[in-house]
Amino acid sequence: MEMPATSEMASTQDAPSEASGGDVIIQTQNLTKVYRDFWGRQKVRALKALDLEVRRGEIFGLLGPNGSGKTTTMKLLLGLLFPTSGQALVFGKDATDVSKNERIGYLPEESYLYRFLNAEETLDFYGRLFDMPAALRRQRIDELIESVNLGWARRRQLKEYSKGMARRIGLAQALINDPDLIMLDEPTTGLDPIGTREMKDLILRLRDQGKTVLMCSHLLADVQDVCDRIAILYQGELKELGRVDRLLTVQDVTQIQARGLSLEAQDEIKTVIQRHQGTLMSMNNPTSTLEELFLNIVRDSEARPGRRAQEKQ
Amino acid sequence: MVLEREILPFLVWLLPRVDSDGVLQLGALLLVLLIAAALLVASLFIAYLRMIIVQGPGEGFYAVAKSVATAVTKDFPNTSWRRIGAMTKLAILESLRRRVLIVFFVFALLLLFAGWFLDPASDHPARLYISFVLTSTERLMLAMAILLSTFSLPNDIKNRTIYTVMTKPVRASEVVLGRALGFCAVNSVLLLLMGVISYGFVVRGLSHTHTIDPDELEMLVDAEGGQVLSGRTSFDVGHRHDLTLGPDGIGRTGRRMDHEHQVWVEGEGENRRYRVGPPEGALVARVPIYGSLQFMDRTGRPGEGISVGKEWTYRQYIEGGSLASGVWTFRGLDQRQFPDYIPLEMNLSVFRTYKADIVSPVAGTITLKNPTTGLTSEALPFGAQEFVVYTHPIPRALKAVTAEGTLIDVDLFEDLVDQQGDLEVWIGCSDAAQYFGMAQPDVYIRGQEGSFAWNFAKAYLGIWLQMIIITFFGVMFSTFLTGAVAMFATAIVYTVGLFREFILKLVGGELDGGGPLEALLRIVFQKNVQIDLDMGPVIDRAVPVFDQLLLFFLWVAAIVFPDFSEFNTSRFVAYGFNISGNMLLQHFLVTVAFVIGLSIYGYFFLKTREIAA
Repeated sequence: MEMPATSEMASTQDAPSEASGGDVIIQTQNLTKVYRDFWGRQKVRALKALDLEVRRGEIFGLLGPNGSGKTTTMKLLLGLLFPTSGQALVFGKDATDVSKNERIGYLPEESYLYRFLNAEETLDFYGRLFDMPAALRRQRIDELIESVNLGWARRRQLKEYSKGMARRIGLAQALINDPDLIMLDEPTTGLDPIGTREMKDLILRLRDQGKTVLMCSHLLADVQDVCDRIAILYQGELKELGRVDRLLTVQDVTQIQARGLSLEAQDEIKTVIQRHQGTLMSMNNPTSTLEELFLNIVRDSEARPGRRAQEKQ
Repeated sequence: MVLEREILPFLVWLLPRVDSDGVLQLGALLLVLLIAAALLVASLFIAYLRMIIVQGPGEGFYAVAKSVATAVTKDFPNTSWRRIGAMTKLAILESLRRRVLIVFFVFALLLLFAGWFLDPASDHPARLYISFVLTSTERLMLAMAILLSTFSLPNDIKNRTIYTVMTKPVRASEVVLGRALGFCAVNSVLLLLMGVISYGFVVRGLSHTHTIDPDELEMLVDAEGGQVLSGRTSFDVGHRHDLTLGPDGIGRTGRRMDHEHQVWVEGEGENRRYRVGPPEGALVARVPIYGSLQFMDRTGRPGEGISVGKEWTYRQYIEGGSLASGVWTFRGLDQRQFPDYIPLEMNLSVFRTYKADIVSPVAGTITLKNPTTGLTSEALPFGAQEFVVYTHPIPRALKAVTAEGTLIDVDLFEDLVDQQGDLEVWIGCSDAAQYFGMAQPDVYIRGQEGSFAWNFAKAYLGIWLQMIIITFFGVMFSTFLTGAVAMFATAIVYTVGLFREFILKLVGGELDGGGPLEALLRIVFQKNVQIDLDMGPVIDRAVPVFDQLLLFFLWVAAIVFPDFSEFNTSRFVAYGFNISGNMLLQHFLVTVAFVIGLSIYGYFFLKTREIAA
């Protein structure tokens, strides 16, 4: 998927005011969400005092098993839910402030689009919601439909679309306003391997264009491939936060790579590499996979509930 | 035609006034402002109570204040017509793709079958046809409005398509307004289509003609010695007319079933043919000039009319063979409008205490009086029958009775209508022991004729305004209720609005049988409304208390919800009366007030709703 270069946007896009924390695009402070029933009784504490910062130009991943609070976090940031306590700021504005949406693009977990509209009508509808003039809408619609390779199906109603096609038109609507912040909920769900690769390339390209991406995903390999920083949530609590490369580095293990050793020599290598004139190729700490890290955190959280994360830089 | 509530002039309706009983009436403007203020206070209080439970008194107050401030300072001023247009277009496309136009075909089918059952040979076929099309259009359209408006937003929330909308810079007010306008647009097109085919159905359904058999015509000589042909038409569509053809070969039929025909002769000798024109007078739009009614009792002094024991107290009765009369005072009459005569029309109720000859009219008299000089015309006799509109053209040349009791020639406008254009019309009953029932709208001067087609369109405007109100109610309810519940709530609003007068009477204690619970118990235990409930001391005390509570809510609902019966102007068209622009303007302003109020409520309900909860 070849995304169009930044187009000139409506006046609201021209001079974005800087977020009140310098380069901080998203900031949550003590963000808590408790779901209650009709009578006001507490049902679930979905998010517990989340403190988070997402900075301009980074790809930030929210990870966690089902029910960990990552989708709740995203919905709170979008203003679809209201916090029970604490605060969520996006571009320095309260998350319930509608005007913040002018600079946000949102791709929901599933393609929650109007199935009776066709691709053109869909993008035109969302373009109008951004108050985009007709000429600019037409230009963006053409660009986006081509970029998601749906030119051949632009007049077909979405109810006739496959899941992958619906996902692509969903992505196009998320980008209709050339947003500064893109929130992607499970962006690779429903995509085939090629589509997944294209989606990951797109995310990286958006980052390269200076945009900020917040995504949550179950697919750890995808997160590992594209995210600069991640937050791992478990049962509504933040368990791990930091740069992906740092989080995946195993600090207390040294890894040595060597070449030209006989089988015998390899047996003794742990004690006397140099005595056998082997060439030391590298010596560093090995990295684990995100999957291992994730499972370790889940196991640790179950064994020691309540432990909270410190950001690892 | 029955007009239980006087149609007030626009400014009188709008502004505070003291009515004829000396009671201060607030007027529509003040009433709306008061209701709005009361609703505002009540809504803020309820919102605050809710937020106290969720966030405590301090935070709760801040949250409510912030919501109001955001609405006033940010959301309302930044409303975008392009976003509203987007939501409107979406609603239209959604409606079309849900194939709402099928309703139009249902309506067309209904009219096709109606042709089998509507009897054009009835006494008042125009009333029958017009009432049918207008009532069926109204019911179908309002049902349509309820269904369309109440399910759309809840479906969006259920399907989560709303997520992709509310994460755009769209205000809740724009969603509410856009949706409602979209549904109104779709329904308006449907209504227009229904209106066009209804009009065609009525005009075609009532269209007929007759033939004349020359052998049935009889030659007569008129007072001036001219040869006049008299006879009757053929029997078609359940009736025939008497007819008279003048010496010039042109004539008219007598009036039957609310219409008459023009008759003329074509050709000479063997080619001589008698032609009958289309029905005339069935589809009319009279513009009545109403007067104010004052009763004179049987001694001739100002007083009240008599009750003849009918529960419906709309009309009061005057006794025949006495000095009792109904006096209508018409104001501002202008002889330029009535150069030849004043067309007085009346539709009096007749109450007979003996029924020797049920067909013969009951005799009455019309007397005209100058309200300033007291000069009175001689009595003009007429006969009145139940359900018959009696037309009496009052000629310019009349005889009047002087103070000395002599008869003099007078001119209607010169002598009996005073300088201000006022005229008193006294109507009395001549037959002893018979009674005339009268209400103010029963006697009127027929002013200029309005266009029936335009009057028909105005009735559709009344339905259109109701549809708009219902749609906005539906959308407003759907911002916080599920589709089925929103539909139910909107239907309740319509029902309460339709029975508003009844509810106000019930609350005012004018009806026997107690409140809703007491009435239910009476039905279940078969106790008629005249006897005590008598179900033990606890129930006897508890039921009225519970009913008072229910009646309070019903009273609030009846005051706040629109009076849909007032919007229904089909009876005006059916009875051939012009729907006044004044009344339409009043209905239009009421609709605007509801649209604004319901949009604001819809905005707050949607804005404060956790869409993803």
